[in-house]
Amino acid sequence: MYLVADIDVDICAQTSCKLCTQFCPEANTILYNNEIGKDKGYKYGAAYVAVDRCKGCAQCVWVCDNMAKHHAIKMIMIDQLPKAAITDNVTYGEKTTTAVLASPMVG
Amino acid sequence: MSLDYVKFAPGFEKFMPKEYRDMVEHGPFGKKTTVSQMGSFKEILEEHPMCAGCAMTLFIRLAMISFPNPEDTITVGTAGCGRLAISQAAIPFVYGNYGDQNGVASGLSRGLRLRFGDKPKDVVVMAGDGGTADIGFAQTLHSWIRKEKFTTIMLDNEVYGNTGGQESGMTSQGAVLKMAPLGKKFEKMDMVGMAKVAGCVYVATVVPNNPRRVEAVIKKAVLIAREVGPTYIQAYTSCNIEYAIPTDKVMEDAKNVEDNRYKFSEYISEEAKQYLAERYGYKEFLPKPAAAVTQA
Repeated sequence: MYLVADIDVDICAQTSCKLCTQFCPEANTILYNNEIGKDKGYKYGAAYVAVDRCKGCAQCVWVCDNMAKHHAIKMIMIDQLPKAAITDNVTYGEKTTTAVLASPMVG
Repeated sequence: MSLDYVKFAPGFEKFMPKEYRDMVEHGPFGKKTTVSQMGSFKEILEEHPMCAGCAMTLFIRLAMISFPNPEDTITVGTAGCGRLAISQAAIPFVYGNYGDQNGVASGLSRGLRLRFGDKPKDVVVMAGDGGTADIGFAQTLHSWIRKEKFTTIMLDNEVYGNTGGQESGMTSQGAVLKMAPLGKKFEKMDMVGMAKVAGCVYVATVVPNNPRRVEAVIKKAVLIAREVGPTYIQAYTSCNIEYAIPTDKVMEDAKNVEDNRYKFSEYISEEAKQYLAERYGYKEFLPKPAAAVTQA
């Protein structure tokens, strides 16, 4: 098993700073959905992690804790995530992306 | 070398992998993408085999997003970690033998100018500190002295990370590495100073802990290199393996290094300032109104 980043939508959607996306060394790994937060009644969308691309470096955790000071990202063992975004289920739209969550342990 | 090369061949769309389809339909080609839009469009860079948490990868990712016209850009690289990621991007990559990347880029840049005339085609060299300042030092300096019009970016990780941690010319004095156990005896090479002396019209040092600044620096360097002269960017991209930096502390290290010895610096020649202002509307380089000059 290995660690991947997991973003708390309830915290992220309140601020939408997007710093984690800008500091992730992997391309198209931390993606942004304009609608996730709005569906839950928050003002902004939120970031999420395509776990199949995450190498588990935790740089986003440091950025979220120390630069943004939001503490929205935690490292979690991949088998502890019941549902997660994976690249095959990500759809790109006009200035946003959406992901159908699926079990990261299958396939 | 046009938008046509990122389109599907007729009838092949449904057979292409998802990543390729996303790239064609939602990539940055033909659009203006910025760092603030990251995470909402398909990036040029794909998955790559570089180490987890590598700051060099972050810099390369930011650089790829910052290219003013990715569809008209060719990257040139050489041996070293960087080429593992640079080659995994949806823009052409030319691999020079170790150290001759600036020679290859010189020919490429001249050839593209002959073939395409005034239509700008950007050549960007991205090589490590060994490729630029040690083994490729002669070719790098000569390309600047010849005023070859392309951008040279040094991915300065201050060590030979690929081969086990030998010191390079860009390693700081006193740094102890696996293959330099007594510590480096000589000072870090002043490549910024040499770039200015050799005639680069734009020289900048940058650390990737400020994505918008990286974007601004790369855009300026590539635009100036189109017509004015050689440009040089030196980027601190730490090697978290050889310098034993925990991956979650890479940005903390970048911040400390920036504060202590890698401060942001930018040199732009007067000609380059004028070019950016007149051609690309950079307001900060426009001549000041007469009233402001009198008051000052």
